[in-house]
Amino acid sequence: MTCFASGALALFAAAAPAGNTLAIRGGTVLTISPQGTIANGTVLVRDGKIVAVGRDVAVPAGARVIDATGRYVMPGIVDCHSHTAIEESVNECTGSVTAEVRIADVLDNRDVAIYRELAGGVTSASVLHGSCNAIGGQNQVIKLRWGRPAGELIFEGAPRGIKFALGENPKRSNFTVPGTRRFPATRMGVEAVIRDAFRRAQDYKREWAAYDQAVKAAGPKGERPVRPRRDLQLEELEDVLDGKVYVHAHCYRADEILMLIRLADEFGFKVRTFQHVLEGYKVASEIARHGAGASTFSDWWAYKMEAYDAIPYNAAIMAAHGVVVSLNSDSDELARRLYWEAAKVVKYGGVSETDALKMVTLNPAWQLGIDKRVGSLEVGKDADIAIFSAHPFDPATRVEMTLVDGVVYFDRARDASGAAATSAGGAR
Amino acid sequence: MRARFPAGPLWAGPVLVLLLCARGHAARGEAYALVNARVVPVSGAAIDKGTLVMRDGLIEAVGADVRVPPDARVIDVKGMTVTPGLIDGFGGIGLPAPRGGGSGGAGGRGAASSPAPSGSPLAPQSLALDRIAAADALKARDAGITTALVIPKEGVLPGKSVLINLAGEKVEAMVLKEPAALHLHLATLSRTYPGSLMGTMAYARQSLLDAAHYRDEWKAYEASPRGKRRPRYDSALAAWQDVVAGRELLVVTASRENDVRRALDLADEFKVRLALAGAPQAFRVAELIKSRKLPLLVSVNFDPPRAAPLLGTPDDEKDRHAIEDAERNPAELHKAGVVFALVSGHAADFVAGVRKAIERGLPADVALRAVTLTPAEVLGVADRLGSLEAGKIADVVVWSGEPLTKDAKARMVFVDGQLYEPEDKPEPRRGEGSPSPLPRAASPAPEVQP
Repeated sequence: MTCFASGALALFAAAAPAGNTLAIRGGTVLTISPQGTIANGTVLVRDGKIVAVGRDVAVPAGARVIDATGRYVMPGIVDCHSHTAIEESVNECTGSVTAEVRIADVLDNRDVAIYRELAGGVTSASVLHGSCNAIGGQNQVIKLRWGRPAGELIFEGAPRGIKFALGENPKRSNFTVPGTRRFPATRMGVEAVIRDAFRRAQDYKREWAAYDQAVKAAGPKGERPVRPRRDLQLEELEDVLDGKVYVHAHCYRADEILMLIRLADEFGFKVRTFQHVLEGYKVASEIARHGAGASTFSDWWAYKMEAYDAIPYNAAIMAAHGVVVSLNSDSDELARRLYWEAAKVVKYGGVSETDALKMVTLNPAWQLGIDKRVGSLEVGKDADIAIFSAHPFDPATRVEMTLVDGVVYFDRARDASGAAATSAGGAR
Repeated sequence: MRARFPAGPLWAGPVLVLLLCARGHAARGEAYALVNARVVPVSGAAIDKGTLVMRDGLIEAVGADVRVPPDARVIDVKGMTVTPGLIDGFGGIGLPAPRGGGSGGAGGRGAASSPAPSGSPLAPQSLALDRIAAADALKARDAGITTALVIPKEGVLPGKSVLINLAGEKVEAMVLKEPAALHLHLATLSRTYPGSLMGTMAYARQSLLDAAHYRDEWKAYEASPRGKRRPRYDSALAAWQDVVAGRELLVVTASRENDVRRALDLADEFKVRLALAGAPQAFRVAELIKSRKLPLLVSVNFDPPRAAPLLGTPDDEKDRHAIEDAERNPAELHKAGVVFALVSGHAADFVAGVRKAIERGLPADVALRAVTLTPAEVLGVADRLGSLEAGKIADVVVWSGEPLTKDAKARMVFVDGQLYEPEDKPEPRRGEGSPSPLPRAASPAPEVQP
């Protein structure tokens, strides 16, 4: 099927002109907010924002109505660890520090995984580099606006982030490609690489401070000194030091988690999330004290040495110690059923249903700094909404409809016609 | 050794006899008048029976009622069509094959023009000019190509292209514009930075920043050198200066749909003059291209060699779709109202690619403009090239039939007013009695009048 993106898409994705009001009525609303669960509730949406949530919400005349009777309405799922929609290589593997490379540059709006993830209720994702190097580069938080140009995938206003990686991947334990040996080869080396990078960033910061001083000293009439060379790598690390960039650190073992906390303390920055963090349960208090979140798998481990000492209670234990925990996919495939990943932590660790749902909605939203915008169904937030056929933890549930900014980007009824995915031009 | 007048087919006999007599004289200074021609000037309406006069390497006059100067060599081209010479606005004409020596075909590699070895993949300062084998480049005239922008296809920053006219024995004599543009291929290197597309973008950004910083350093030094250490010379950063100043075109090779946005992002951030080359998926972002008036060099290299995937097997289905998309790209762009040049994109057979674009729905007249006047416009030489107008360079092709159709042969190719007559290669030679490639009735032998 090679039909050119055209009319079908326009009808589908752009059907909500500004000023349009939409009411999702009759469903069980899992607000993930203090409002709790509302039976036979209504979510009212205007201009892509939620304007009312409740049992007795008046639906204005002329509003479009989505009948959700018998269905479950919940905030769109936020995936805190995704490699979806990246064009070509996920890694700039040629150096150990590549803070200057940007996922935003290589977003691929035609990756059909975007659509498939919408079909799993996902509406936002943190698109990260791989873990080939200690400092991988600048990640990009996106909204899954399938069919829109790449630039419009970007979650506008989301805080900047950077991917770090510890352990076997950056030291290339399991990936020996002939001719590509590279420092570091040990966990000690990974630490040295990161420390060296931040030392250079500190020098860089001093260089610019000296320049600013010299400009001041020269006064308006004196000869202006030449501006120092702008270095995109060090500029980014300087912003990490200044707390302007969230650090998302791929890690497994307790010792490397503690190492990065010590190193961050030494340089005065915060780690926003530990990713994978399979041994997080061993150092949950330390993670909580640092103020970091943890984004982990429910029950996926043992795929390499550093991923052996893992337990399915990891998420529950970390949460019990005060860590903001999310469950992520790290996979285009797993991303389609993150709601079932959440269900698993109810079984393992006895997490409440609401807290479990938070682990795929509000918690990852906080971890990405977008919790004021998404993650729960509350007035003023973006109308990023998933409508399920049954409770999201029901083994037979499925997503019927997914909205981003109040626009329907996935509709199972339409999907049955087979036109939806291809009309956006990505699916083949 | 001059090879401008190889033994031609029978029909051209009279032309040859006469011209051979004139071989001793320099071609420059000569005047030619093509009479009884169907003239397609591209810049204006076609003339069914017109005259084109060339003198001293330039077009002197063109029109239906042009007086033939008494000293001109008159060539009756009744039944034939005269167009501007074709311009390959982005390709590798005259460059050595990327790997292995001796694949460039027979002849033409004199010691004076032996090409330099493949350059660094990150060398904006390298000049395509230095790598062109003049005699190899001249072979492209057989297809009616008179002008070529030449840049290596390998690397990320392959250097600066040169625009050459395909006449002369040494490349210096061929140069129309040097450098023509600085090039950035949105490609990646293996095992060395940048090894990913995002790395290439970062590298480009850093290069542009470094170039601006380099400018500032030298500017400050030149303003008052006393008491200062001079900045270190850097040939790569020096090479960027005209692009950074907006004087030189940056041509970004875009092989992916989103490369168009990537290139625009760079151009916007650094305020550089941008043109896009390749762009096999440009039709998907036609509105963006139109709204930004982005100069476009669309490749007809529809099936370039594809790198094997890192993991798994090549996706034949995906490749097939990519080829189909690329083939209809020109027609779709035209339907969307985008003006663009068609270029070889390093394809071996430029004209065959153009024909394919026509088969896929691109109107023939649009295609002709896309290989003549539009590339001249994109490359900033439309004031001297690209159409048949008085005062422009005499790059002219006489076609045996409708230009850009399979049966049309370039019978005479004038470059800088110098006549070259391609051999009729595909036709096997069987001696004196061999049949003419042209049906005589449809297209009688041209008569040359003194």
